Amino acid sequence: MLLPVFASLTLLVPPAPKYPADAIAPALRENAHAVVRAFDKVVTVKSAGQLVETVHRVVTVLDEAGSDDYGREVVYYDALNRINYLHGAVYDAQGNLLHQLRPAEVHDQGLGSAGGSLMTDVRVRYADLRQPATPYTVEFDYEVTSANTLFYPDWQPQHDENVSLEGATLQVTTPTALPLRFEEQLLPAGAASPPVVAGSQTTYRWRLPAAPAVEEEPLAPALSALLPAVHLAPATFEVQGYAGSLASWQSLGQWVYELGKGRDVLPPALTAKMAQLLVTSPDPRERARKVYEFLQGSTRYVSVQLGLGGWQTSPATSVATGGYGDCKALSNYTCALLKAAGLPAYVALVGAGADHADVRTGFPSSQFNHAILCLPLAGHGTTPADTVWLECTSQTEAFGYMGSFTGNRHALLLTPEGGRLVATPRYGAQANRQQRRTDLWLDPSGGAKATVRTQRLGLAQDRYAQLLHEADPEEQKKYVSNHLRLSHFTVTSLRLAPAPGPALPGVVEVMGLELASMGTAAGRRLLLEPNVLGRLGALPNQVGARQAPLALPPAALYQDTVRLHVPTGFQVENLPAPAQFTTAYGTYSSTCTALPDGTLQYVRQLETRRPGGGTLPAAKYGEYRDFRRKISQADNAQVVLVKTDA
Amino acid sequence: MVKKLLFLSLFAARLLALPSLGQAQQPTPVKVVEIKFGKPEPADFEARNFVADSAASAVVLYDFGNTRFRLNGTSFQLESERITRIKILKKAGYDVATVEVPLYHKDLSEEKITGLKGFTYNEVGGKIEKVKLETGQAFTEERTKNVKVRKFTLPNVREGAVIEYTYTVTSDFLFNFQDWTFQREIPTRWSEFRATIPEYFDYKLLMRGYQPLALQAQEQVQTQYNLHTEGGMTDRGQHVSSENETISARATSYHWAMQNVPALREEPFMTTPSDYVARINFELAGENIPGRGYQNVAGNWEKINADLLASDEFGSQLDRAGFLSEAIKPLVAQYSDPAERAAAVRELIVKNVKYDGTNRYSASGPLKKSYELHRGTAADVNLLLIAALRQAGLAAQPVLLSTRAHGRVDANFPQLQQFNYVVGLLPLGGDQELLLDATEPLLPCGALPTRCLNQTGRLVAKGTEGRWVSLAPRHALSHYQQVTLAVDEQGNLTGQVHEEYSGYAGAAAREKLQQLGEKKYVTELAGRHASWELPSYKFNQVSQVDKPLTLNYELRRAASAPGAARELYLNPLAMFGESGNPFQHAQRLYPVDFGTTLQEVIMVTLTLPAGYTAELPKPAVVEMPDKGGRYIFTAATTSPGTVQLVSRLSLNKPIYGAEEYASLREFYRLALAKQAEALVVKKNE
Repeated sequence: MLLPVFASLTLLVPPAPKYPADAIAPALRENAHAVVRAFDKVVTVKSAGQLVETVHRVVTVLDEAGSDDYGREVVYYDALNRINYLHGAVYDAQGNLLHQLRPAEVHDQGLGSAGGSLMTDVRVRYADLRQPATPYTVEFDYEVTSANTLFYPDWQPQHDENVSLEGATLQVTTPTALPLRFEEQLLPAGAASPPVVAGSQTTYRWRLPAAPAVEEEPLAPALSALLPAVHLAPATFEVQGYAGSLASWQSLGQWVYELGKGRDVLPPALTAKMAQLLVTSPDPRERARKVYEFLQGSTRYVSVQLGLGGWQTSPATSVATGGYGDCKALSNYTCALLKAAGLPAYVALVGAGADHADVRTGFPSSQFNHAILCLPLAGHGTTPADTVWLECTSQTEAFGYMGSFTGNRHALLLTPEGGRLVATPRYGAQANRQQRRTDLWLDPSGGAKATVRTQRLGLAQDRYAQLLHEADPEEQKKYVSNHLRLSHFTVTSLRLAPAPGPALPGVVEVMGLELASMGTAAGRRLLLEPNVLGRLGALPNQVGARQAPLALPPAALYQDTVRLHVPTGFQVENLPAPAQFTTAYGTYSSTCTALPDGTLQYVRQLETRRPGGGTLPAAKYGEYRDFRRKISQADNAQVVLVKTDA
Repeated sequence: MVKKLLFLSLFAARLLALPSLGQAQQPTPVKVVEIKFGKPEPADFEARNFVADSAASAVVLYDFGNTRFRLNGTSFQLESERITRIKILKKAGYDVATVEVPLYHKDLSEEKITGLKGFTYNEVGGKIEKVKLETGQAFTEERTKNVKVRKFTLPNVREGAVIEYTYTVTSDFLFNFQDWTFQREIPTRWSEFRATIPEYFDYKLLMRGYQPLALQAQEQVQTQYNLHTEGGMTDRGQHVSSENETISARATSYHWAMQNVPALREEPFMTTPSDYVARINFELAGENIPGRGYQNVAGNWEKINADLLASDEFGSQLDRAGFLSEAIKPLVAQYSDPAERAAAVRELIVKNVKYDGTNRYSASGPLKKSYELHRGTAADVNLLLIAALRQAGLAAQPVLLSTRAHGRVDANFPQLQQFNYVVGLLPLGGDQELLLDATEPLLPCGALPTRCLNQTGRLVAKGTEGRWVSLAPRHALSHYQQVTLAVDEQGNLTGQVHEEYSGYAGAAAREKLQQLGEKKYVTELAGRHASWELPSYKFNQVSQVDKPLTLNYELRRAASAPGAARELYLNPLAMFGESGNPFQHAQRLYPVDFGTTLQEVIMVTLTLPAGYTAELPKPAVVEMPDKGGRYIFTAATTSPGTVQLVSRLSLNKPIYGAEEYASLREFYRLALAKQAEALVVKKNE
């Protein structure tokens, strides 16, 4: 009978309010949808093969726009990562407990078909504590035991725009015999405490003070590169019995290389077939091309990521029999094919994706998500000596081309001697080229028919190459239509075809267009902007002082020639003045002239540059914006035609 | 194109003729395509047989399904066999070689896959090479609590390969008789479905889509089922041995096929492709087990209503909102007008319960719990709303509906599974009634969320069969702009703009404002136009969702070519109207479904520099057929030196048929052309 009394007694004393919204400093509310009240991470390294990560995250959601991202928690796990618990609670604005998360309210789901994979053991648990009334505060606690010590958790308490931070801590305890490696990113002074040794353990601590919300700015690096973080990595680790060291890129490469060792054996018939190429294609580059063509014609990308299989390649024989594999398996298989054809190559790890940050080269750690192949031809007596890079997961990529997905960054070569960080190819303005010729036949009512031929090379063709190979004609037409910035038009015909340039992939697009109103009618006059398709928009005005560095797009060359066939009954009243200017960011010119036969010819050329390696101080934004504004103004040049009285 | 509807009952006596493409005619007999699994046709490797498919990445050569009943012990199961053969034409078609089969399970009932086999055939050096699918390479994933997914991919898939696979799914869920879909995202040469249904089960059939059947037949057959009863002890302790018995039953055997079915493509302003895909849907209507008589399972509205209203997850909760009485009392005291009171009650629910994004028609638990959790599914939120309205003395009733993504409801079929959402209906006297939903705080009371704007819903009322309720919204998507501008001799523009977003446009603008905040909203607005500057702005009525959201801003636009000109060309309407025709594509196969009507008004008053006059574009009126839409453009000099331009676009229907597409597209073309016409502003001679 004691129990109920006890229970009712506790009811009389409500728990003290936690995290009242009123306690948030005004500076942290400014521009913020949510405030991270606490983000406390404790990492305990148990052994070379096991660590435990504990997270305590408290966020006050200030308005509805912060609710979806911060009122919920998602924790990933897989065969090597186990969730020990996921707890949660939600408090009202005053900090009174509204609800404690119950286990039955935590959802569990497989991520099976995400990202084109056939099978993966990655799953999520998620909990939803969103509330109808803001502000409210959520508190989540979870713990994950990881047997994949190749990866140590990262700590970046503030990583989104419009979210401020009240404070955060990181604590890592590791056996002194297993020293921690870390890289601090943009930490304020005093964030780190000196490590403390107690018995056989060493503990490291970091603390971040309050920080106001930040906003993303146009043409800026990703916020994750601009906000404080601590990156962690082991010195030595062990995954599923495979021990390794992250002391250097060499040792990481060594570990991955060893993981794949002996998995490059091909069926004898296939080895013989490749060896035959030595006879039929004596030129190494040609031979490599033949091997690549064979790969592209007989395999496809299908991803199966289970346990260690997320890092260890499946054997070359499985690709040979099934005709499919993931990036590691296909690269390993191609490597084996090349080897059989007398062309030793290396599998290379890379962080793939147009928006993927480059490797932090000073901090050897697993920063990669993709595998490619690197074939040095220098040793084969070819001239010019060069290196061929191969994307083995694509059935259509051009031989030797690394576009926006894998180009212009670092990759880790996996060699028998260990890893070596090298640069993948980079393409300059002359390589990334778009050349367009437009013929416009204007009719007296202001409508027009046009034929447009556009040739794109290098990075400029990446999207179109994908369109060419992966979309059917109907989808191609839809894509192109959706990307034309014209008021009313009909695409009457469209053809995409491969049109490689010297050593670079290219796509040519030939399009027929009908434009309902090409010009603007103004009484007897017709106003036309001859730069029909090649306009480059201006950048938004800067509000307040620019914070982020300026990240420039890749250097490129755009050439447009427009022939405007004027209908009878019209004559030119006014032609735009020529424009020509050069800045550090590029050179622009446009002219509009009447040809002897009465046709108007508009020629525009823009070559953009990338000074400072593409990233410039924030102060340069204004200058660059002026450049873009001048281009935008020049691009709107107008021709005035007038009806003749005849 | 005429939409074809097949309405069949499986009871032979109730069989109706199939109306085909608007006329009652039997399809011309076709030769049934047959294949031998494991033996490809040489013709499938001849390029000339695929010339017509040059646009496709792959072609379904043969797709065959056969669903039968079997007895598992004493319980009936569905047993569905499938055989599929596909020709891979391009690398872009490789994805079809990866197959996922979702398998549902709940409590002790489950769906199981057996007999998975597959082959890939490639022509290598004039010979056909055959590779087997290793079932060790097939995986099972526990996707969610109740769904497992069996996944496999065929080996050695190359351009020109033919793949085939077969498997059988047995299912304890007689309610979940799987649809047969004749049409895919790639063209289909032959798609055939057979079903043999014993006299014990009454399924309703629903044919959907725009494709004709090439074959349709049925016959009465005798079938046999093996009944197995387990042995054991009776409660009196007697031993009973297990028994096997063969039972004979009459059955109806059905046979349907389609030939040369084109690929289905998604188009803009579409509800969901499943509304348009050629498929046949089965709904269990009744059971006629010997000795038990006919049991109506889902037969009629009266029963559906009675079951729903008696259900714990639906009706029985609607009169249990006593826990809200304290919160509701003051609202009842304050508002005597039913519409006002309803709005206040809705506000109470909106403020207290957040919609979690899940659409359902039945509650996930007690409504009191959702109220205390402050969160729930669409059903939790709206059933709670109905209960609260009743607690407030308002006779609200539930209306079932199907969201746009869930697909259109077919009024011919009393099928509960057509629905996935519930809202409230409140009669206001006369013909007036109010549809109520509390999931979207940014919508005014009486406006259903856009996802619900799917033509028709079903009223659930006690002791009646209910009725259909039109979901056509009272609110339009309405945008009004009043602009006062002055132009100087250089062509620089300065002025004031007053914008109002109402109805669904109000909700959309409020949501954008909520996400972006005022500063970014305005920066984005300015960024859409070359050289716009907005030195000051003010939003009003942001939280009064029953009123328009207004935005007033000051606008400056510098002339692109500075210097005094003798003539200026200005098209101010184009600065505030749509930048392009929303209908870019010349062709359309399926209806355009906006969900709402639309109104777009722009009024510009332009003051000219002293000593200038303007040459004005001609006024115009554009009408769509059947009063479907109207565009009015006027331009007038209202006083010396002042010009007024008015552009008024309205679309009066929420849905336009595919045959109206051309006129819709032309309507926009004419409207945009008129908006783009320039004024010629000249210095007086």
